[in-house]
Amino acid sequence: MIVSLDWLAEYVALPKSLDELTERLTLTGLNLEGVQQAGDDTGVDLEVTSNRPDCLGHVGVAREIAVLWQKELKVPAPQPKAQGKPVDSLASVTIDAPELCPRYTARVIKGVKIGPSPAWLANRLRTLGIAVINNVVDATNYVMMECGQPLHAFDFAKLKGGKIIVRESRPGEKFTAINHQEYELSAGTCVIADAERAVALAGVMGGADSEVSAGTVDLLIESADFECMSVRATARALNLHSPSSYRFERGVDPEGIDWASRRCCELILELAGGELAEGVLDEGSERPARPEIKLRFEQLPRVLGIDVPPQEVRKILTDLGCEETHECGHCVKAIPPSWRADLTREIDLIEEVARIYGYEQIPEDAGVKMAASTRTRSDRVLERVRGVMFAAGFYEAMTLSAVESAWCEAFRPWTSAAPLAASTPVLRRADRLRQSLVPSLLAARRHNEKLSNPNIELFEVAKVYLPEAGELPRERRVLSATTGRGFLDAKGIIESVVAAVAPAARIAIEAAEFPLLDPARQAVAKLGDQLLGVVGELGDSGRDRFELRSPAAVLELDLELLIEAAELRTTVAPLSPYPPVARDLNIVVDEAVRWSAVEETARVAGGELVEAISYEETYRDEKRLGAGKKSLLFGVQLRSANGTLTNEEADAVRDRIVAALAKSVGGALRA
Amino acid sequence: MALADFIADLNALSAEADASFASAADAAALEAARVEYLGAKAGRLKAVQQGLGKVDKADKPAAGKRFNEVKQAIEAAFAAAQERQSRGAVVAEREAFDVTLPGRPVRLGRLHPVTQTIAEMKDIMGRLGFTAVEGPEIEDDWHNFEALNIPRSHPARDPLDNFYLATAQLTPGESPGAKSLGGKPLLLRSQTSTVQIRVMESTPPPVRIISLGRVYRPDTADATHYPMFHQIEGLLIDRGVTMADLKSVLRLFCQSYFGSVEAGGQDVHVRFRPSFFPFTEPSVEVDMSWTNAAGEHGWLEMGGAGMVDPNVLRAVGYDPEEVTGFAFGLGVERICMRQHGITDIRALYENDVRFLEQF
Repeated sequence: MIVSLDWLAEYVALPKSLDELTERLTLTGLNLEGVQQAGDDTGVDLEVTSNRPDCLGHVGVAREIAVLWQKELKVPAPQPKAQGKPVDSLASVTIDAPELCPRYTARVIKGVKIGPSPAWLANRLRTLGIAVINNVVDATNYVMMECGQPLHAFDFAKLKGGKIIVRESRPGEKFTAINHQEYELSAGTCVIADAERAVALAGVMGGADSEVSAGTVDLLIESADFECMSVRATARALNLHSPSSYRFERGVDPEGIDWASRRCCELILELAGGELAEGVLDEGSERPARPEIKLRFEQLPRVLGIDVPPQEVRKILTDLGCEETHECGHCVKAIPPSWRADLTREIDLIEEVARIYGYEQIPEDAGVKMAASTRTRSDRVLERVRGVMFAAGFYEAMTLSAVESAWCEAFRPWTSAAPLAASTPVLRRADRLRQSLVPSLLAARRHNEKLSNPNIELFEVAKVYLPEAGELPRERRVLSATTGRGFLDAKGIIESVVAAVAPAARIAIEAAEFPLLDPARQAVAKLGDQLLGVVGELGDSGRDRFELRSPAAVLELDLELLIEAAELRTTVAPLSPYPPVARDLNIVVDEAVRWSAVEETARVAGGELVEAISYEETYRDEKRLGAGKKSLLFGVQLRSANGTLTNEEADAVRDRIVAALAKSVGGALRA
Repeated sequence: MALADFIADLNALSAEADASFASAADAAALEAARVEYLGAKAGRLKAVQQGLGKVDKADKPAAGKRFNEVKQAIEAAFAAAQERQSRGAVVAEREAFDVTLPGRPVRLGRLHPVTQTIAEMKDIMGRLGFTAVEGPEIEDDWHNFEALNIPRSHPARDPLDNFYLATAQLTPGESPGAKSLGGKPLLLRSQTSTVQIRVMESTPPPVRIISLGRVYRPDTADATHYPMFHQIEGLLIDRGVTMADLKSVLRLFCQSYFGSVEAGGQDVHVRFRPSFFPFTEPSVEVDMSWTNAAGEHGWLEMGGAGMVDPNVLRAVGYDPEEVTGFAFGLGVERICMRQHGITDIRALYENDVRFLEQF
């Protein structure tokens, strides 16, 4: 809301300094947005929150200034002289949609002379950035900017039958607005119609064929109240936002409607001449009386933390226009003014008192009670997870939670349910709530490839959204990463994360079949019988799908599962004082034998003396080992808690392992 | 043998030895020279020593004295030569090893600036006794609007201002999932206050939490807007919580975050400006004071705050006559961007590794 200082000064004595004015207004609810010089006048742009439509006119802003600086507020009392015939002999008003239009008033002026507005009025409108049209239209805009009540002037001759009917639009009804665009109205739109057709979109915009033009002689002046939701819906649906719709959306002063009408007529008579018809057409229901609100004085310190003297409280409320109906040592009762629909409860009055008394009175060094705070389990786990990713050289990425449909289908290890979709894309085509972070990270990978960035090692911790029938979706937090390294490196990340969070957890690796990934180089990790994660190198088709030039691997881990399994406080194991003994084994097995089977067999056969089994390498040589064979080289570290192991004891363990491997996987010690 | 002859022999030997040690090019040549002059068995000094016996008895003390002097001189010359040579070897070794070559780098990762900002905020609020909580990003009507005192008629519910979940996206045979609950549509939460409602619904007062996470609003992406961003909101509900507590907690937060001793330790102040939010009454905008090196000062917008509206307290089953509370919300990206001089919010979500590398 831009206000003209020249105009404001008509209602209240302004403080000398503009800075003093704007500073105080900013601190009491009218935030300064900017100041512009406009000729001799100054335009001050004030931000008005949606609960304060009373400040969408100069009188409202002047009232605030009057309260704050303790000045008198001078509001004109318009008394336009009516010399014409009774208005009800000329026109009629019918409200067919009372729920969309609580009140409609109309006055008629005959014989006006359309012409330019005088400079004083035109200049004020220009200060506000409002286009200057002609003396009648300018008068309606002027009064709207004076008191916040939108007005509309119809060319009375164009109103068929001299009738105003406020009704809902008919199916398929069309309307041409003063911007000369035709709109097809959706059913239920509140329109102002004459005997034949819609002549205005209620509260939003007038119609082209009833607008005031150079040839207009007779006027019907509308001052009404339209339901805010309806005005908002119409303005939104047709993308027609006007200063009028802006004010109706926030609500107008029900008691100010007639004042605005009289004020507007008075101004038109002054600027354009003519003869005002006697009386007013005033339809609609009376608003119920506002109930009084009780403010208990003790509530002020309870909420604000400071005492405000009761006489100060009463003065603030009265200055703001409240009518005091009761006062005792404990409380005050007041009826708020009609222009303050936002004041309905005790707490609302407390806010008014605080605002005017000054928030600067509230101390910033209160002794706030101490309290213990705890870090959640998930926070602790996430910190460890991020620590591992940091140490492993990954950069943390953040990608949008929604993806385009094709990405969603590219990789979905956690669900087969159709993805949830937003009714409008969150960004560009991204309207599906993602079920994996992998596609997003691959897109980030492609972006970095295109920038020729080396070392594209990215991870993200975020949620995936898994639909559940009849409930809120299951949101699972996952860790996802993409690397230019290979399968074993990516798998190593999973193992390192699990080891850092849940060292006792044993994960099982199983083969997997995700089309995005290389058919051989992919696997799932399981914790018990639950899917913990997926890891794999991208296959050719997967790379093509995300337009990637270089090899890449991905992994994704269910962090919720990991949080459950997390062991955040370890209990130390006693350390053996005796030295370890190592044995290397070189076992020849069929190509199909998995390392996991060899390791498991060795661990079980070796028994409790086995401290560690470390894989070294796989050796293939058709001539020496035979076709379809490979040799697995690994080390076994043995240690006893009870004494130094002898060579014989160590050899015995090794022999047990060799024998067990021969039996379980057909392994033979390499000659 | 005449004493003079003996001494002349000694002097000649000493001069030869000096020259020989000095000209030895490497350790082997020096060793050869050492053997020649100082060799225990066949060294030339040894040979000269044998001449000592032939010197006249009366001259013996003088000859012996001189012999010892020369012996020490030759030994010293050898030691000096040896020292010279080993010094040369070190110089060569040093020359061959370039300590200014780059160290073998440990390739460390980076944490996203938003993560770091959130971590610092959580850390400070944790010290002020606020426990961090999170909640669902997909919310129902009750938690995102109704319980937050945002009635049906409120513009904040407008479909153009929210990401409602679509209900008519299904092709035949697809499972319906949950796109609405009880006939009311689900949506991507537009604020993290939803989490506060969930906590209050399940916990009796006192409540002292910060809720944080991703929120979504249909803003067109530009330098200062992105349809997804992060919020951090604080909530304190207890008997006797006042706006002075709110102001004080916010000042402590700002002082901790922006007024560290390393950064000059300036006193940070906060001020309130009236504002309007459905879930708080009174509602305020919070500004923080700043002073720069040039001594200029002003106010910086931090976020919104207020006393929890009695309607919200009632919605979660609290009695507004029993307890009061405050809430505040800060935009994480805005603070993060200001701290790091980031001028385009989209950089935070572009994931260019050259950008991420800087944190």
